[in-house]
Amino acid sequence: MNEKISSILKTVEKPGRYSGGEYGAVIKDKKAIKARFAFCFPDTYEIGMSNLGMRILYGSLNSDPDIWCERVFAPWVDMQEKMRSYDVPLWAHESGDPVAEFDIVGFTLQYEMCYTTVLRVLELSRIPLLAAERGEEDPIIIGGGPCAYNPEPIADFFDCFSIGEGEDNLVEFTKLYIRMKEEGRYTRAAFLHEAAATIKGIYVPSLYDVTYHEDGTVAAITPKFEDVPKQVQKCIIEDMDRAFFPENVVMPYVEAVHDRIMLEVYRGCIRGCRFCQAGMIYRPVREKSHEVLNKQARCLYDNTGYEEISLTSLSISDYTELEPLTRELLEWTDPNMVSLSLPSLRVDSFSRELMERIASVRTSSLTFAPEAGTQRLRDVINKNVREEDLMRAVNVAFSGGKTNVKLYFMNGLPTETAEDIEGIATLAKNVVHEFYQNKERPKGRSPQVTISVSCFIPKPFTPFQWEAQDTMEMLREKQEYLGEKVTDRKVRYTHHDARVSHIEAVLARGNRRLGAALLLAAKEGFCFDAWDEFFDYDKWLSVFERSGIDPAFFANRQMGLDEVLPWDVIDCGVSKEFFKRERERAYAAATTPNCREKCSGCGANRLGGARTCCPGGGARNEK
Amino acid sequence: MKNNDVKFTLPMLAEPRTLRVRFRKVGNLQYISHLDLQRTFSRVLVRAGLPLWYTKGFNPHIKMVFGMPLPVGSESECELLDIRIEREMSCEEVKARLNRELTDELAVLEVYPATEKFTAITFAEYEYTIVTTGANAALAAQIDEVLQGGGLTVTKKSKSGEKEVDLSAHILSTEVRFQEGLIFVCAKLSAAEGKYISPEALITALRAKTGILSGDPTKEHYRILRRRALLADGKTEFR
Repeated sequence: MNEKISSILKTVEKPGRYSGGEYGAVIKDKKAIKARFAFCFPDTYEIGMSNLGMRILYGSLNSDPDIWCERVFAPWVDMQEKMRSYDVPLWAHESGDPVAEFDIVGFTLQYEMCYTTVLRVLELSRIPLLAAERGEEDPIIIGGGPCAYNPEPIADFFDCFSIGEGEDNLVEFTKLYIRMKEEGRYTRAAFLHEAAATIKGIYVPSLYDVTYHEDGTVAAITPKFEDVPKQVQKCIIEDMDRAFFPENVVMPYVEAVHDRIMLEVYRGCIRGCRFCQAGMIYRPVREKSHEVLNKQARCLYDNTGYEEISLTSLSISDYTELEPLTRELLEWTDPNMVSLSLPSLRVDSFSRELMERIASVRTSSLTFAPEAGTQRLRDVINKNVREEDLMRAVNVAFSGGKTNVKLYFMNGLPTETAEDIEGIATLAKNVVHEFYQNKERPKGRSPQVTISVSCFIPKPFTPFQWEAQDTMEMLREKQEYLGEKVTDRKVRYTHHDARVSHIEAVLARGNRRLGAALLLAAKEGFCFDAWDEFFDYDKWLSVFERSGIDPAFFANRQMGLDEVLPWDVIDCGVSKEFFKRERERAYAAATTPNCREKCSGCGANRLGGARTCCPGGGARNEK
Repeated sequence: MKNNDVKFTLPMLAEPRTLRVRFRKVGNLQYISHLDLQRTFSRVLVRAGLPLWYTKGFNPHIKMVFGMPLPVGSESECELLDIRIEREMSCEEVKARLNRELTDELAVLEVYPATEKFTAITFAEYEYTIVTTGANAALAAQIDEVLQGGGLTVTKKSKSGEKEVDLSAHILSTEVRFQEGLIFVCAKLSAAEGKYISPEALITALRAKTGILSGDPTKEHYRILRRRALLADGKTEFR
């Protein structure tokens, strides 16, 4: 870190966010490396350092002796102000060198509301915002993560995207960059073209023409060259036991939001909830073996000293080796005073035995996600959870001394009626009733049931990708209606801001024309829109209006089943036909069995995968 | 790969032993708050594989007691931390194991059995390095005069509100030097419990009296380094 930055640190809030110097941070000799990669998390340090994906990719890129990957975070507003006053461009965390001097700058796109922060980071780095305006000396800007599955709204700002799992992909991408520089045939255009043509999962928006119908829908997305793929298929790590695993961890001094060992148990999800993007885009399911996980957990503990291990994955109780894994972990976590937590429990798998084993449940509160208030609507979304499962689970909790239960729901799901909304209040009331019926309940204490209700956002690559989001007025009416129905004093009701959900829907399902609005937003100083205190709905509406964008066109329109969708240029592994079938089943309130019960032919098995439950994955399935 | 379970094989001590760890906190690490430092050490002690003593009771935890507070933005070569172990391990081994888990900017300098209590700390010695646009011998003399002159006050914020503190009464001695374009101040300030004064207070007072260090922080800046903790005589180093 240079002296200029260091002296500014005495004048800002939480300077530890910027100072670096963490144990485990990778420092390399600039003369001994061939490419510098700046990996940017477009939010604060505390949030970025909680992201497991960033930790994995940082480790994976740095495992290559030719590459030095550093971290970049969005400076908080007080620091941004100082940077402007004292003419300091944004720097990378490890070396303190300006981001603009790097070869490649990568952004992980975890949520749509971070887009304006991405643009602010580019601006603070003094890198031209528009890909078309970047010169040969500017870094290559690459994006990845879940939002990259519909890259179109931000296509103008990125030179390319890495679709899918990046552990090997980003290294291969950077190696090509190094090779072309060494061979003296590097130009931005030549490199991007060759990357698109030869590396799986690389999407270069500038190599495609997008045409539109008069009504504003996309007519076609066509590659400009023969050797550029018509559809970019995501890349995956087939064998999770052999996936790059970061043994050395950067230990943040400033407390990260998730400050514990995150042990990734498997990728994908067998469940197939119809609103859930993560459950679709991370398919096929690929497990790590419990032997490997136990070794990795031990290694992480020895290298970090964390007092908690969180088993992470989309639905932890679906892991086939959960029993041997927790047994082996407890053998050494107990004597070392390390606790285990399972953050993603399903109600149908919650047992007394599991609760006693797991520390997270030592708190007085438990969280479940029924998502919808009636069985009919839960069948529509394929949640496959019954009211009796929930009641059994809360009874286990109450008998075990818990008094607080938190329940997650969603408003605005397709086919939702007043009855479904009322069902949320009834369900919560029934949980309270269940508490008083339970003879083993904690004596002399009263229950607290919190219902937290978010708004449905139709997401690309889900069976509900075509659905219209409820209008703001409808969502607000529904929120109010539910508020009226919650009469029990033991039930606490909170809901998300429908205005944020509305903007998120626009950005999630947008096409390239949104680029103009985002550029205007950047010019008007938008940043940190994922933070309530900076989100300004009216300003968003004004920006859309002035850029000729009708937000309802993207958020509240039922898209045609035959329409070319902006994200059709990406192949996430799961087929569009499967989504259409699932959509039909949703409207018939018919559930689909989970992947382990019966294969429903989503198509993701063509990507391969070891320790998967997919048919055809059998050959690779040996342990 | 290391495995910290080795600690379970060491011979048990009859009584838990308190060890004192002296460490530096310099460079980038000056920006880490006390709370963050505590959390960091709780993990460093664990991953160093030390045979730590845990409190008995419903929620067992390790014991850590820090010496004087150090404000964010000040560096130090004499930070003190008491830890407790329950099995035999030499001070040298503890030091080596800790330093494997730390960086140069937060390195352990010494580990020894704690004898004296932290309450014996009465003063602390600081070195200030001031970079300012108009630095010369005359400015150094002016600073010296201000510091020697007495009557300096600072506002101290506490839970019960703000109050005026007589800074001069908390200064044991100061020395000012001008050398190679920089101004150096060496100061011994009160550090006893209840009388502790932050080293930043001296900068605040100088800023008010002389106007230095109130401009662009990228052109005018300062460094504070705590060198030693001292006993009541103002000379002997606390150990």
